[in-house]
Amino acid sequence: MSVKQISTNMLRGWIDGLLLQKTVIGPVQHQGHFRFESITSSDQLALDYDVTDLPPKKFLLPPREVMMTFRSSGEFQSVMEFHPFVLFGVHPYDMIAINQMDRVFSEKLVDIHYLTRRNACSIVALDPVAVAPHNFSGCMGTATVEKGWDLLLTPLPQDGYLLEIGTEKGNTLLHSIYELPDASLDQLQLREQRWNQNQKSMRRHELKCAPDDLPDLLEQNYDHPLWQEKSSQCLSCGACNIVCPTCYCFDIQDEVDWSLETGVRCRAWDGCLLRDFAEVAGGHNFRKQSAERYRHRFYRKASYLPKRFGEIACVGCGRCISACIPNISNPVEVYNQLVGE
Amino acid sequence: MDPQIDSPVIGHPSSDIYLPHPALITSMCSLTALDMLFEIHVPSPEVHTPSPGQFVEVSLPGIGEAPISVCSFSNHPHQFQILVRRIGNVTQALHQLQIGKSIGIRGPFGTTFPVDRELRKQNILFIAGGLGLAPLRSAIQYVLHRRWDYGKLIILYGSRTPDEQLFLEDLHDWKSRKDLTYLETVDRGGPNWKGRVGVITTLFSLLNLEDDPWSAIICGPPVMYSFVLRELRQRQIPNELIYVSLERRMKCGVGMCGHCQINGLYVCQDGPVFRYKDLIHLQEAL
Amino acid sequence: MSKPQVAIFDLAGCEGCQLQIVNLEDSLLQLLSLVDVVEWREAISNHGPEIDIALVEGCLEREEDVARLLHIREKSKILVALGSCAISGGVHQMRNALSSLEARQITYGNNGFLKHLDVHEKVQSLDQIVKVDYSIPGCPIHRQELSYVLRCLALGRIPFIPTYPVCVECRIQENLCLWQQGQLCLGPLTRAGCHATCPSHGTPCIGCRGYSSDANPQGLRQSLNRYHKTPEEFEHHLNLFLGSSLEHAHA
Repeated sequence: MSVKQISTNMLRGWIDGLLLQKTVIGPVQHQGHFRFESITSSDQLALDYDVTDLPPKKFLLPPREVMMTFRSSGEFQSVMEFHPFVLFGVHPYDMIAINQMDRVFSEKLVDIHYLTRRNACSIVALDPVAVAPHNFSGCMGTATVEKGWDLLLTPLPQDGYLLEIGTEKGNTLLHSIYELPDASLDQLQLREQRWNQNQKSMRRHELKCAPDDLPDLLEQNYDHPLWQEKSSQCLSCGACNIVCPTCYCFDIQDEVDWSLETGVRCRAWDGCLLRDFAEVAGGHNFRKQSAERYRHRFYRKASYLPKRFGEIACVGCGRCISACIPNISNPVEVYNQLVGE
Repeated sequence: MDPQIDSPVIGHPSSDIYLPHPALITSMCSLTALDMLFEIHVPSPEVHTPSPGQFVEVSLPGIGEAPISVCSFSNHPHQFQILVRRIGNVTQALHQLQIGKSIGIRGPFGTTFPVDRELRKQNILFIAGGLGLAPLRSAIQYVLHRRWDYGKLIILYGSRTPDEQLFLEDLHDWKSRKDLTYLETVDRGGPNWKGRVGVITTLFSLLNLEDDPWSAIICGPPVMYSFVLRELRQRQIPNELIYVSLERRMKCGVGMCGHCQINGLYVCQDGPVFRYKDLIHLQEAL
Repeated sequence: MSKPQVAIFDLAGCEGCQLQIVNLEDSLLQLLSLVDVVEWREAISNHGPEIDIALVEGCLEREEDVARLLHIREKSKILVALGSCAISGGVHQMRNALSSLEARQITYGNNGFLKHLDVHEKVQSLDQIVKVDYSIPGCPIHRQELSYVLRCLALGRIPFIPTYPVCVECRIQENLCLWQQGQLCLGPLTRAGCHATCPSHGTPCIGCRGYSSDANPQGLRQSLNRYHKTPEEFEHHLNLFLGSSLEHAHA
């Protein structure tokens, strides 16, 4: 589809127009950190943000969601949430993570709870201008994104943005504004430059191998002493799981109300670093050692999921690096140490 | 302005993989102090008859869900048996239900023992430890239904104590049959126990497996596998003819939640029945 | 079906956990529609020979506490330890580092030797004396958790109380990590279920819910330097609730 130009003022006006019809969720600043949250005015948006503490997945796979209601007599009824919203300002690495989740929840079997929410969501992606302290998406090939978004915004060096329309859904979002002028050839070139620059600059950590080499690299290093060494400081706190845009493991729990007659079955985020994750009824734990759980995360991201879906399930956002108190979660550090031998 | 809200409730299990089908308990029979045999009827035509080795997710409203292997095989559609050991929330509550009560069922899920494929015409050695007899029983029943279609059959069964032996009627039947060899042992005998005492691997010395090619099916507690596999290796049973059924925390049953993962495999979808050859390089498997 | 009979008892403690029951406010009526409260020192005393669920607050300081607890256990089908004092001795266990005489003297001066202040040499938690069926951690307990546990018990199921650390709930709320804000927070070692109430209000976790499963204080000690914290500071914080209770951490 086509690429348009839009001034910053017009962009703000357009967002404020959208807010009259829909929920708009975008990056907002809090004490120097950024969070995706529902806004009431375009002024709240921090479009020059570097990274949010939690990825936008929290709006597609909420930390806790009601999947169904039940009656004690044995009837269950699905609960689906269809509440149209715009996810505004999603960076390429997060967009790619969402694309991966879309496949997980629809490729073999359809998770209607995820998919209903996903279908209600329009995504406006945004090429970043600031590089987060630990971002290494440039190394992972995720500093730019070609698909998944409905609209893609790329900031221009002077003022304004280029706006590419990716889908009909994206086109509909633009209905409230007058026809936008097409991007000029010069502007398209500036956009290319922005992409090239981002691929080069979003490398706060430099991976010493190609991402495609990671599955083989891991295959050869299952018993490497590094897993034990690094994990000796692991707090099993799951912070790396919680902040990860490609983590989607969950637990399911029933909750009854006071009548004990009715209640809800809920899904909540879970994490493979947490001790009880692989424990079965009766108490046997299949990943009892923290080193086993620590290793599992890296294998899942760079070996197990890639073998299933053909893509490395790490998008280089660097959130796990920032979140880890003992500073042992840096994937690049781990992979480079394995390469280094 | 309020956001546009529209909440379609698609209340059907065919569109929601997490939504249980209504099912009825048609019989209950206590087998040991901890184990109860349930017969389940699922009226929904969408629920396939479970194949040997598969499991279902049993749902109790307010309590939760638990993966339980189907322990029977019959051609009767929508009807199957599960053996429930009282060890967790759902299993505890199941034991307290009565015949006629309604429960939820999802599934059946997972891979099957290839009794209708590779195992036809073969000599089969069944090795069950403790609760592992439950999934194996579905395969044994299948094979005995079509006894003519298989070669020699051996069933080895080890329990911790005589009191923990499951399916006494089946054991009795197998003991008396001429068309199969049934051997049993217990880890610890008792005053009234006249049979063999010892771990399951002690039964191998009673067998002569050298003259024929054998396939083996194993299911038991995690600790059992490595010992049994060593015996099979010594007897030159090739890894591609060994099938194991594994237990993990199959929470969702549909390969999404991540709990049952063994290295790169999901037990709920890629298993629970695996060819040993496919597991041999997975350190988390056995 | 008759309603389960619930009794509330207190041993050595501040009664803060019982106050949380009162604080249920609106849902207190719903709670009473679910269970019969048959004994509560504050209000009621009319229990029969058997109690379905005993909620026991506080730890054991004195000889008579032991006898009382044994009596409670004997007549209760389910015994629930209510709050950190009951589970691990709570703040009381700090005195276990001293002899009881030292502790009494520090607290009461010369009056500390008066007969009515006689206490056991060491503070004990309920599970050191009797079998505890369920525990509701916290100082004080989280009232929503109490009501959840009571609903589960009324339904005959085991309640799900997280064993993972507070960090999970804290990160989900997108709080700024207090370690990264220069504070010493025990969230990474402490069992969740409180919805990270303290860190969400900018106050570091003090570990009142006890250790999480696989808590790794040794691992955290190795990070102190990076966050400009001293081992003394760390041990001092740990002392309040987590000092002696690692061996108490649930299985």
